[in-house]
Parts: sequence; C-alpha cells; structure tokens
Amino acid sequence: MEPAERLDQNHELTLKELPYIIRWREDRCTRCGRCTAVCPVNAIEPTVFAQRVIHSEGPVPTPKTVRRLTQGVRQNVDIERYCTGCGSCSLVCPTVAIEPEYHPRHKFLTFKNKGGVPYKRGGRRNDPSPSTVDQLKFTRISMLTDPALDAGRHEFRIRTLLGRNLPPKKLPLEQKNGHLQVRKEPGFIPPVREIFPIRIGSMSVGALSPHMWEGLAMGVAYLNEVEGLPVVMCSGEGGMPPRLLKSRFAKYFILQIASGYFGWDEIVHAIPEMTEDPAAIEIKYGQGAKPGDGGLLMAYKVLNLIAKIRGVPMYVDLASPPTHQTKYSIEEAVAKMIQSMSMAWGFRVPVYPKISGTKTALAVLNNLARNPYAAALCIDGEDGGTGAAYNVSMDKMGHPIASNIRDCYLDLVKQGKQNELPLIAAGGMGKAGNLAANTAAMIMLGASAVDIGKYIMQAAADCFGDEYNRCNLCNTGRCPRGITTQDPKLYRRLDPDKVAERVVDVFKSADVELKKIFAPLGRSTELPIGMSDALGVADKAIADRLKISYVC
Amino acid sequence: MVIQGKVNGKRVSSRELEEWIQQAARDGKQTLTIHADGQHGIGGRIWPDGKRLKITVDGPAGQRLGSMGMSGTEIVVKGSVSDDVGWINCGAKITVLGDVTNGAHNAGAQGILYVQGGGGARCDTMTKFNPRFEPLQSWYFRDVGDSFAEFKAGGIAVVCGVEPRNPDNILGYRPCVGMVGGTIYFRGPIQGYSEKDVQCVALSPQDWEWLTKNIKPYLKAIDRLASLEELTRSRGEWQKLIAYTPAEKAARRGMKVPMSTFRTQVWDAGVGKGGIFGEYLEHDQTILPYITTDKNRRFRPVWRNDVYLPPCAYNCPSRIPSHKRASLIRQNRLEDALALVLQYSPFPASVCGQVCPNLCMDACTRGELDQPLDIKNLGSLSLELPAPEKARATGKRVAVIGAGPAGLSTAWQLALKGHEVDLYEGSNHLGGKLEMCIPRERLPRKILKKEISRFEEMGINVHLKTNVSGKRFKQIYDTHEVVVIGVGAHEARMVPFKGYADVIPGIEFLKQVNYGESMDFKKKDIVVIGAGNAGMDIACQAYACGASSVTAVDIQPPASFSKEQELARSRGTQILYPKSTERYDKKKNKVTFQDGTSLDADAVIMSIGEVPVLDFLPQSIHTERGYLVVNEMGQTTDLKVFGVGDATQPGLVTHAIGQGRIAADVIHTQMMNYDYVPEIQREIPRERIKTVYYEAARSDEFVVEQEANKCMSCGSCRDCGMCEVSCYYGAISRVEGDGGDFEYTVKDDLCIGCGFCAGICPCGIWEVEENV
Repeated sequence: MEPAERLDQNHELTLKELPYIIRWREDRCTRCGRCTAVCPVNAIEPTVFAQRVIHSEGPVPTPKTVRRLTQGVRQNVDIERYCTGCGSCSLVCPTVAIEPEYHPRHKFLTFKNKGGVPYKRGGRRNDPSPSTVDQLKFTRISMLTDPALDAGRHEFRIRTLLGRNLPPKKLPLEQKNGHLQVRKEPGFIPPVREIFPIRIGSMSVGALSPHMWEGLAMGVAYLNEVEGLPVVMCSGEGGMPPRLLKSRFAKYFILQIASGYFGWDEIVHAIPEMTEDPAAIEIKYGQGAKPGDGGLLMAYKVLNLIAKIRGVPMYVDLASPPTHQTKYSIEEAVAKMIQSMSMAWGFRVPVYPKISGTKTALAVLNNLARNPYAAALCIDGEDGGTGAAYNVSMDKMGHPIASNIRDCYLDLVKQGKQNELPLIAAGGMGKAGNLAANTAAMIMLGASAVDIGKYIMQAAADCFGDEYNRCNLCNTGRCPRGITTQDPKLYRRLDPDKVAERVVDVFKSADVELKKIFAPLGRSTELPIGMSDALGVADKAIADRLKISYVC
Repeated sequence: MVIQGKVNGKRVSSRELEEWIQQAARDGKQTLTIHADGQHGIGGRIWPDGKRLKITVDGPAGQRLGSMGMSGTEIVVKGSVSDDVGWINCGAKITVLGDVTNGAHNAGAQGILYVQGGGGARCDTMTKFNPRFEPLQSWYFRDVGDSFAEFKAGGIAVVCGVEPRNPDNILGYRPCVGMVGGTIYFRGPIQGYSEKDVQCVALSPQDWEWLTKNIKPYLKAIDRLASLEELTRSRGEWQKLIAYTPAEKAARRGMKVPMSTFRTQVWDAGVGKGGIFGEYLEHDQTILPYITTDKNRRFRPVWRNDVYLPPCAYNCPSRIPSHKRASLIRQNRLEDALALVLQYSPFPASVCGQVCPNLCMDACTRGELDQPLDIKNLGSLSLELPAPEKARATGKRVAVIGAGPAGLSTAWQLALKGHEVDLYEGSNHLGGKLEMCIPRERLPRKILKKEISRFEEMGINVHLKTNVSGKRFKQIYDTHEVVVIGVGAHEARMVPFKGYADVIPGIEFLKQVNYGESMDFKKKDIVVIGAGNAGMDIACQAYACGASSVTAVDIQPPASFSKEQELARSRGTQILYPKSTERYDKKKNKVTFQDGTSLDADAVIMSIGEVPVLDFLPQSIHTERGYLVVNEMGQTTDLKVFGVGDATQPGLVTHAIGQGRIAADVIHTQMMNYDYVPEIQREIPRERIKTVYYEAARSDEFVVEQEANKCMSCGSCRDCGMCEVSCYYGAISRVEGDGGDFEYTVKDDLCIGCGFCAGICPCGIWEVEENV
C-alpha cells in the first residue's frame, strides 16, 4: 500500500472536477499515439491498464486467474494539465476513438488558482446565452405598402463612411452661375473613407501567428482588388510589417497605436517611403474583452520577427499598460493623440479612438463630438476576444455593446450630429454565427460599422474556442490551430492561403446576407444607420431600453 | 361579330366585356372585333373546344391582353398594348401591331407573341417550360427594355434589333438575371447580361434553321416582310443567350482568382517574395501536418537509463543499489550480486540483515503493490562472502581514528581503492557501537564476528587500545596524508536534575551488558529516561537482567522505530510521555516528574543520546555543540582532516557507513588529484514506475530468484523490450554494444513524439522532452 505521507489527498482531483472529460474508446484505439503527440497541454498520456479476471470453466469451481495488460490513453487530473476540450485528439485520431466531452458540472474555476495565481487565458467571455444583439429581429419588412428590393436581382452596394462627415452647412461649397462648386480655399476637409461596414478588428502581429496575420491581410487585399469589396483591417498594437507598410496594400489597413507604442518608430521611419496612406489610425484606449486590463505579450512569444517589428529586444515580456502613460484627462488624451496622429500623415487620414464598452462612453463621445479632427468612435463591448487576460476580466468586466452604442447614437441624434461622427461597434459580432444579422442590427441601433475578431478566427482558421471555455489557450503560445502562437511547429499547420480564401468567403457571404436583410426594408443606396423602427425584440425590457418595438 | 367597349358614350366595364366575349365564344362565333376602351384581360381564358376564335382588337386595350390565353385563340391588336400582354399565356397567338409595354409575356408558358415594335421593361420574365407543349415564342421587332428575361425558365425570345430605340443596347439593362432555361436570339449591340446566369454564344446550324423558318410567318404577321432579307442574310449577325446548367454553375462557383495565383502574382509582387514576414522567417514556408517527425516533432523521447536513483538506493544512506543486485540475480549472477554490496558496505549481513531499520524497504516501490523487496534477507545472504579484491596499491597513507561503523566503512573503502590505512581504536575490539552497545539478540555475535573477520582480511593496519590524545593526534596528522575522525559519540548526555548523579548512563549500561558484566535487576523496577531506539534496547536488556518492570519515559512522542518499540513492549515495557523528570530520589527509589506524578525506580537509566569526545583535536578543526563540523563530503575545517559518523551528528549505522564511503571517495580523488564527481542524487519520480505490470505476490516466502523478479527496477532498464514492441512506428530499436551492454535508440525520422514509450515503460526509463 502506498504510504499516506506520499499522497496529496487534499489536492487530488477527480475527473468530475474538470471541464472536459476524455472519452476514449479502447475497442477502437490502435495505440498509434497521434492523440498524445498532438495534445497541446499533455492532458492525455499513454499508460498501461491491467485487467485481472478469474475464470472458472469446469463443472465445479476451478478458479483460474487471467491477467491481461493493455496500453492505452488516460486523462490527467492535474489542474495544470487539464483538458481544455480543444479536440485536437479527435482531429488526428484515425479511428474516431477519442474525444473530449464537456462536463457542465465541473468546478474548474474553484481550483484554478494554484500558487495564488489567478486563472489567465485567452478567448472570449464564457457566456453561451444569446446576446442582446442576437435577440433582435428585423420586423419591418416592406410588403405591399412600398416596393421592396430583391437582394438577388437588384444591384446595390453596402458601404459606410469612416471619417468625419461635415454637415451640409459646413460643406465648403459655393454657388457660382447656378452651379455648386468647391470653394477655392475650402479649409480643412476631414478625410473620409468609403468602406465595407464589417471590418477586421485589431489583432496584433504577435498575438496572431505570422501565418494567421498574413492570411487575414492577404484576404483583405483580395477582397479589395479582386472582389471590389473595400474591407479594411486594423493592425492591432504591434506595429506593421514594413513590407506591407510600404506596399500599395497599406491603404486597406488601419494602423493602431496603443499604450505600448510598439513598432511605432519603425512606422514613423517608413512614412516617407509609404506610397499609400493607411485607411485610418485607431488609438486604442481599451479593449472590450478585458476593460481596464493591459496587454501582455509573453517573453517566449517575442522571437526575432516580433522583436524586429515591435522594436524591442527578443525574449522579454512586453506589457501594454491599461492606460497611456502621459495622458491625464480625457481632453488631453483625446486632443493630443488625435492631433499627433493626424499630423503624421498631414491630416489626410481619419484618426479615431477605440474604447472599451463602458457607462462612461457618453463622456468620451461628447468630447469627440466637439473635436473637429475626431473621425469616429469605436466602442468594444464585453463579448470581445483577446489573446491573454485574467478570467475575471473577461467574464465579469465590460459593458454589452447594444445599449452602449444605442445611447451614444441617440445622444448624437439629440445634438443633430448623428450623420457626422460614425460609431463603430465591436464585441460579440457574430458570436452565435449570425455575423450579418448582428451587423445589420447594430447599424439599425446607430452604428456605422462593426469590427470582428474572434469570429474571423473561427471562420477563417477554425479556431476551436467557444463560450464553454473550449481551448482558449491563446495566452500559452500553444494554439493547436496555429492561430495565436509564434512556434513555427504549430503555426505552420495553418495555410495562409486557405485563411485568405475563407476571409473572402466570409465577406462575400456577409455582403449577400446584408443585402438579404436590407433589401426587404427597401434600402439600397445608403446603410439604414439608426433605422431602429425596423427592429423588434420579444423582450420588453430590452425593447424599452433600446427604444425599439416590442414584438411577440 | 363586333363588341363595343363603349356604349352610349359610357365605358363598358371589364367584367361585362369579358362576359360578352365568353358568350360569343360559347355561341360558336369564329371572329370577333372588339373596339376596346382600356378593358382588362381582353381575349384570355377562352377554353378551346376544337374551334378557333380570331379576335381583332382596336382602340385602347387595357392591361393583360390575352392573359391566360388558350390555344385556338388568336388575337390581333391593331396598335400598341398596355402592360403584361400575354400574362401566363397558355397557347394563344397574339399579334401586336405596335409596341408592348412592360411585362410582356410575363410568366408565359405556351403560345406566340408577335410584336411589331419594341418591348418595355421586364418582358419575357418568369417564362415557363412545359414539355407537353410547344415552347413559348416571343418576337420583338425592334428592342426590349431593362431587366429582360429575368428568371426565364423556358420559351424562345427573339429580338430582331431593327431600328432600336436605344441603338447601343437592344436588350436593356442587366437582362437574364436568374434565367435558368429557354433561349434568346438577338441581333444587335447589347451592354452586358447576368454573367452568373447565362452565356452568350453563336447560333448553331439548327438554331439558324429554326430562326429562318419561323421568322417568315412572324414578319408576315406584322407586315414587315420587307426586312426578311436583312434579318436572314447572316447567321453571324445573330447571337444567342442560354442559361448555364446547374452543373456548369457549380463548376464556376468559387474563387474568381485562385488564392495561390493571387499570392504569387499580386501579393508577393506587391510586398516582396516570401510575403510580408519573408525577411524575418528562417523556416521553410511549407505547411506542416499535425503529426510530424524528426525536427518538427514537438516532443522527443530520450532513453535515460540509470540517470535517476530508485527509491531504495536513494533512501539508503549507504546508497546500496539493491536494484542492481536484483538485476544481477535475474541474470543468474547471484555471486556478483551479493558481492556488489561489499563495494558499498563492509557489513551487509550485520547492518542490512540485522540492525538497520531498512529505509530502503520503506521506500521500495514494490511496497505499493504488496510487500517491499526483502532487502534485509538479501543483505544477510552476503554473510559468507570473502573480502573483495583491492585495487593496486597507491602508496598513499591514510589514518582512521575510531573503529566503529563510520571508521570501518571509511577504512574499508580506502583499502578497496588501494590505499594503506592505519586504523586507531581505543578499545580492544573492532565494531564500535555494533560491538559494544547493540544487544546481542539484535545482532548475533556470530554474524558480526564473521563480518569483522572479513574486514580484517583487507590488510588494514589495526591499532587497538590506542587512545588518541592531542599529542598522538598531531603525530598521526603529520605522518598521514589524510586523517579521518570516526570516534563516534560515547559520552552519555545527562540532564542535571536533582539526584542525576545516581542515574546510570545508558551507553555504559549497554556496554556492560554486552561484555557480560550484567547488572542484577532481579525484581527491580527500572525507569528509562528517553524512549528512542537506544532506550528500547536498554529496556529489553533490563528485562534480560531480571527487571520486574521497565517504564520508558520521554518528554515527547518516542522517536524509536516501531520495530524496536514493539520488541520492548512485548517484554512488558511501558512507554509514558510527555514526562519531564524533576528529580530522582535514590533513597526512596522514586522518580518525580514535573507534572507531579512519580514512578517507583530501583534504578534509573538515562538514554537521551551521546556526544563525541573530541578533546584531542586542535583548535583549527571546528566543532559545534560538541560535534565535529563537516560538509556533505565529510571535510572538516582542515582540508587534511575528515569527519564521519556519530562524531559529526547522531545517526543510524547505515548513515555512518554511507558517510564513510563518501568521505573515502572524496579523499581518494583528493589524494589522486582527480576531480570529485558527486553521485547522482535525484530520485526517480514515483509515477514513472508502472507498478501495474506486476501482480501481487501470494506468498512471502523468501526465494532469492523470486525476490529479484519482484524488483521493479526503478530507473534502471530491465531490458524487457516493451518500448520496442509498443512503438507503433517501429522507431525504437535495441542496440547491443561490444561488451554485452545495450541501449535503446530512436529513429527520429519515424518518431512522432507521442510518448507511448515513456508512458508504458515499466521502469520509467524513457523521458519525453521538448524538441528544441
């Protein structure tokens, strides 16, 4: 018997404590070891099982012992090596002999703080319930009262404007000989881009693997140049590969500057060599997935490529603090960052801030509304994803995007500025797979565009993550799909060409679906921004809060 | 018959006009002339009864003229018509001697529409295909408007393109959206069509034959025969639009430009070869599968044989490799196996076999399954062995002071290595406490004597009855390269409570008993202060001397091992704690404790440990709290002087033996000028040993071969070949060296790093590490 002093019975967990339980079929298993070779966390390990059977075959009791040893696969109960349910084992198993099964009554969070270290992970908020946006439906369909359009038959473009739109009275136009023309000295005309209303939100080089980032970027270039769909993508905070910066494709990209200022010296050096202006500059103040929590790129991810692009030494932890170091008030923060970034490209590029969804969004909005150089406001709601954060930040911090955007839009309406300052909504777009519907709903609540992040990772690269904490290993550098790792052994699993193809698929189909939503409303020329009479919801409280109709 | 659409200046309703027409048809009228006034649906729905009805319409016709028209009905309109002419036409022949507006032949299925002019928007849309009938025909002399032939599923439309209203585009804006069947022949310029639905091709001879044959009656009907020659002069002037088949559409689905082409021709051309990260990445740009081999594996297995110590050897202070002994026995090398132990201890039978608490057995992995390996018995088996061979003489001289377990072990090891050893002992016996203090019943004299005599075979210069004073020490120090101090601890520690002078020191009592100067304890009550292992020995000996009761007291839970305790208790010993002695009154034969209780005591023996007598040492050799200060290699503060055994700290006999061996190793390397390489000190992680391979033994009978088989060979390959057989990819092979040694190796190009070898190795040899 094992001496008791060698046991740690206090901390020995049963499988029932863990969120995923491995179902292994001994009868199907060939013991080829592919599952144990691929498991990103060593949650399963090869082992030996003994079976002892007593046979009695004669007409009287004639006991005979038969011992049989078999080899097989066992799940580890060590909390540090818990099964994350990614399913890589099932992916590689040639005989369908193994799969993780979600265990809804697990107590994982109760234990995952060993050594006083709170649980950290990547991914998204674990909340499988339908988001507010997912509950909204489009209830105003043009029937006999006014002519609906046919999305398949009629040609119309889904586009939105990124940048400050001058109100008619402030347009630098004058009448001459009965014709409107631009005034000789028009003064400052804010830069505006016409883009597709779904953008790829900020995910940094570093958070994403080179194959993933390049796949997304190439897909964006393809959409613009082959499909004629002006999709833009934000660089994330981690600089931009100089080759891309200096190429003509730079115009499809939004450069992000955040509190870490990584890679910005390289960008500034590259400005004279740039042949195209970027689509916009995004100043990141917060992230929906982990509001008030900074970013951290772990040292082991900071390899040659990342170090070069970010302008840092190799193998050091890279912290992006939750706040910008030299900004002490909202006025200062917004004014000085927008000024600086506008100046860098001669005021030819829209510059706007991105904040986390928050009750204080209106204060920021009103500040921006007064700033003639502010090009937009991007609000990132609680359902956003991230590469690494404390579980508590992800699960419990943040503000749902729907009412946040709605409040902002109605505030602009009150000021008569709803057509001037575009609002961009992020956080949970496509959470349940309904990307176009979520986008259309946010537009009707008042957004001009939406950002997607984790949706595109799932759609374009089959990210395993879900709202049940499946996989979510982004922070560990061991992403089994090769999406969020800097380990070539892992990211070389991902084919950038196929990522790009899927990006194209996603946007082409979203374009069709958006038309399927907008056409029956009779809209074809402009986005129905703020057209909230088209929305309905079967929840009275949501209806009242969002000032849309209650339907049932 | 003539039907008036306006009677007495008042327009007839569409309903009335329809009733009149239907009545006329029922009446068998064959020709009708209708002076229309905008009525709806004129001429439709006249279900054929074998007769024919020809309707001539003049005046303004309303919408849907000839709608749901049936075969047998022929309508000629002397002018233009309004929208939806021939709507759901099911066979009527309609001739319009003017233009048709929007929606002509919308949803038409059979019949003919001849148009002398042009068509409006959405003509020929939603037309049908029905194999029971001849296909629908729609003929337009000039051109047609926007959205022509949307969702067309059947029928033939002909647009002649004569004097078109829009000379640049005779089919209007975006024709053929959603068209899935039918044919459009046209002649003249167009500006695009729905390319995802239809293709534009040249006319085949069969097309041409049909067209030239059917155009004549059309032109005749619309009175444009003059154009016949122009329209039929050249097949090349005509083109045809036909729908893609579903199979063709499926084949055309997908990327407009393959992504690989886009990458090479557009992306890389724009950003540079190798993509945006090309300048930083050093690895191949190829894609890797999830399961990889060689340098692309995430993990690799390593055969780490004898890198870790098994629990027995790790926990044995003498480091006796019992797993190696078992392995030799399994190889039928029993003698080698038993002799191996002598390389580690001169007293396997006396210590392992008798007095040692066998920490090895407590730790033995086998104990998790049934019983630990019987290392005690295996130790005893070495009793009869002769002394092992010594190495060649080195000419180095070492002095060892004290012939207890520590001194003997050091001297033994040094002699084995070929050094000359002078051993100094104050008493006239070798063996120290083994000889003097351990009760004979725990260590039979015969066994000890046998092993002492083996020791004596080593040719060590033994100087008995040699008390080492300060002066003598200096002499020894000066005449030897190294001096080892193993004088043990022989001065009893005493607590100076009241009356302690009447207390018998335990060590003295034990020595007296062992040398036959037995005390007479007959019918006496004895109290032993200190319930450690020595206290238990004393208790047993006291009973042997005739005591009627022995009570051992301690201020804390007794430190004695259970076996010693059990033995003492079996004799009748009571153990009491916590008891802190206050005084001993010899006259009243009473020991009183601080808690106020007392015990009758004819004699009190104190056994709370001993301290060494080190008064002969010079000041340069430090002591602390009575003990010699040494490091883990046995070195004192003087590099020439080493300390071992109880003189350095109290311990078990096996500790003293182990310290002696380590000190000897260090002394050897020091004298020979080698680098000292410390032994492996890592214990194999217990979970690595797969105890499940073994079946619990049903008998505890000691059979040496069986015992060796029971050994799980922790951390030391038992050469079972399990890994070689288990590896799915055949990546592991056994390689034998020249000297009969072997190793297991991995073919990296086959190994996927699954870890099965490590997971199933009975001995825990294979280790999986990151493949960097």
